[in-house]
Amino acid sequence: MKLSVKASFGIAAATMLVLAGCTATSDPATDDDVILRVAIAEPDRLVPANHFSSYEVLTAIFTSLTGLDEDGQLEYLQAESVESDDAVTWTITLRDGWTFHNGDPVTAQSYVDAWNYAAYAPNAQVNGGQLKNVVGYSELSPVDGSEPTATELSGLSVVDDLTFTVELQSPDRQYPFQLTQGQTGLYPLPAEALEDLDAYNSHPIGNGPFMLADDWTPSQEIETVVYEDYAGEEPTIGGVTFVPYLDTTIAYTDALAGEVDIVAISGDQVTRAEEDFGDNFYALDAPGVDLLGFPSDDPRFSDKRVRQAISMAIDREAINDAIYGGRQIPATSLTSPSMPGDPAGVCGEYCEFNPEAAQELLAEAGGFEGPMELLFIGGWGQEDLFAAYANQIRQNLGIEDVVATPAPDFAAFTERVANGDVSGPFRARWGALYPSQQDTLHSLYTAEGDGNFGTGGYSNPEVDALLAEADAAETLEESYEGYRAVQERILEDFPVVPTFGNRYLYVTSERVTDLYSISGSPLLSRVEVSA
Amino acid sequence: MADTLPIVTPARHQPRGLRAVLRRPMFWLPAAVLMLFIAMALLPAPFAGIFGNGDPRACNLADSAAGPRPGHPFGFDLQGCDLWANAVYGAQASITVGVVATLIALGIAIVLGTLAGLRGGVVDWLISRATEVFLGFPFLLAAIVVLNSVGERTVWTVSLVLGVFGWPTMARLMRASVRSIRSSEYVLAARTMGLGPARIISRYVLPNSLSPVFILATIAIGAVIVAESSLTYLGIGLQPPAISWGLQIAAGSRIFQSAPHVLLLPSGFLAATVLSVIVLGDALRAGSDPRRLQ
Repeated sequence: MKLSVKASFGIAAATMLVLAGCTATSDPATDDDVILRVAIAEPDRLVPANHFSSYEVLTAIFTSLTGLDEDGQLEYLQAESVESDDAVTWTITLRDGWTFHNGDPVTAQSYVDAWNYAAYAPNAQVNGGQLKNVVGYSELSPVDGSEPTATELSGLSVVDDLTFTVELQSPDRQYPFQLTQGQTGLYPLPAEALEDLDAYNSHPIGNGPFMLADDWTPSQEIETVVYEDYAGEEPTIGGVTFVPYLDTTIAYTDALAGEVDIVAISGDQVTRAEEDFGDNFYALDAPGVDLLGFPSDDPRFSDKRVRQAISMAIDREAINDAIYGGRQIPATSLTSPSMPGDPAGVCGEYCEFNPEAAQELLAEAGGFEGPMELLFIGGWGQEDLFAAYANQIRQNLGIEDVVATPAPDFAAFTERVANGDVSGPFRARWGALYPSQQDTLHSLYTAEGDGNFGTGGYSNPEVDALLAEADAAETLEESYEGYRAVQERILEDFPVVPTFGNRYLYVTSERVTDLYSISGSPLLSRVEVSA
Repeated sequence: MADTLPIVTPARHQPRGLRAVLRRPMFWLPAAVLMLFIAMALLPAPFAGIFGNGDPRACNLADSAAGPRPGHPFGFDLQGCDLWANAVYGAQASITVGVVATLIALGIAIVLGTLAGLRGGVVDWLISRATEVFLGFPFLLAAIVVLNSVGERTVWTVSLVLGVFGWPTMARLMRASVRSIRSSEYVLAARTMGLGPARIISRYVLPNSLSPVFILATIAIGAVIVAESSLTYLGIGLQPPAISWGLQIAAGSRIFQSAPHVLLLPSGFLAATVLSVIVLGDALRAGSDPRRLQ
């Protein structure tokens, strides 16, 4: 008996091996059969208005109102049009015939209900702030944390099934850009979602090209397949499986082995990745910027000449070549070069390497006393970068005691920065959620911005006024002029040291022939694959 | 490790064994290498400056990961710092950690081992159980947990942690050799003469029971240096701006594929030191073991 059982197992195993061999090599598959495997960090939640780190999954199962085409021009996706005469009241018209994965039609009400829910403070939706310029937001989410006096945004009104209007608190010509895929808080929700958001979280239903095949189990792979009734452009592939990794180096190794198709890598892996992956290495221009922020309560940095001296003591080109394999972009403004209307060079001589001038500036400001500690996030591949900053500041400014210290993790880092427990420049960055300078400048350089602590709490009424002016500008060109003026004004105060414009880095398996991307992030429904 | 514990002979027999050991190449060769590294650790500047560029913190990114050239025979690391100067300065941290941590462990082991061996009874039982508990901790895991919760990680805190978790084996050995001496005739004689316990311990017990634990400690120095590098490589040992071989190996491993030469010097020095220490310890052990001498 025992023997025969063993034997039959052996045969079964052999058969499976043969079958596996078939699917892997012969039997040419069509694109529809290709399921891409994408490495992600473990998602925190899958509710679009209430997540920090689930962008890959959510952008695959939802379609935003607007998007960008290959040339970076605005295109309409779920929206048929987004229009306004005065930049204050916007009329959003939806395309007809779109449905959620459960078959419900996508209507104006799907948006208005979802947005009201997201903006209502007691619901604690972390991305609700994306609605803060809508009239009535302060009643739903009072700044002082008091009891809300309304449950619906008075600025939203449904005109008909496919049309609704949004009234803003201040004129904003950039509004259509806010509706692109990065602002997940502005995605629509089906009616059933709001009845039980916890249930929805384990099986999110979107209006996008891919739908979840099964319920989501944390730390398990997330399988998605093409939504057959998707009304938008048909995806180039048959589905996406998201594979959570704790460690990018493991994902990297798996990509080398062909176990996973798309992996985002960190800057210090570039040199290796170029050798290992050749054409399957991608450096995508992205709307993110790296900065060094300063503790506002440390008087040694209160003189802007000290900050300028530090900026001029850093040789961005040399660091880029040595640490990043030349793949990032030395900063010459407060936004990334790929950002529409980026005023390249606005930082001028203060972003150029000039150790002599830097030493003079520092001497004029009265020199620098005591130790300087550069704080960064441990385990994020920033060790070499900050060691290089520290070396350059030490040698080029003649400051004896400059060290680069890692915080154990991101939470510990933000805690130290927020508590002012830093004695030197610290790591800061902003990845814009939508391709407009508005996002970066508002988030970092206004008091209510989400990333304001990264600039040491910088704000200036003049900057606020210039920003409002630029937001209201009639045409894109005028807005670019306006944002240039904002950047010039900020750089007069020089609150931060701009270091690099970002490129997001990816490696792919051999079967990915073109990694279609928008604003530095792959658009999975348009990734080209070979069967 | 030894298949049998070294047989302990009274102190007066040892010089003959030691002299024999000193003549062996297995002793003086590693001893010479070790002396060289200790000299580097004590006086790094003249060694680092041999090739004319002795400042380990003079770095130029333009030389990032560059190969050897005149004045820089071993090339540069990722930050463009001279590899030779850094490796020489790295000796200090690594050897200090090795010696200090071993001394701490040795101190604890001698005190506890002597107490347990001499007193016996409840004290012995308590100490032996404590030893087993500490022996039960996975050494690296314990060090990781403790070092992660220590705020600032310097040579001294790392040494302390490694020392505090490194004593159990030595304590066991110490206890065994003290026990074997406790009932020997000369201790009994001293006791009947009415000498106090302090005098018995310092005059008769310790001198005759220390040599095996010293030999084990010598070997432990090598293990501690390796542990320090491992912890540092994992990012929980020493931190920049300290200069240590572990840090250099960690930094070099990130660009190992494109610039393998950055790993040569620190890992070579590390291996040479550890090997010397262990061979030396083994030679000493052989010297104290009359069966292996003949």
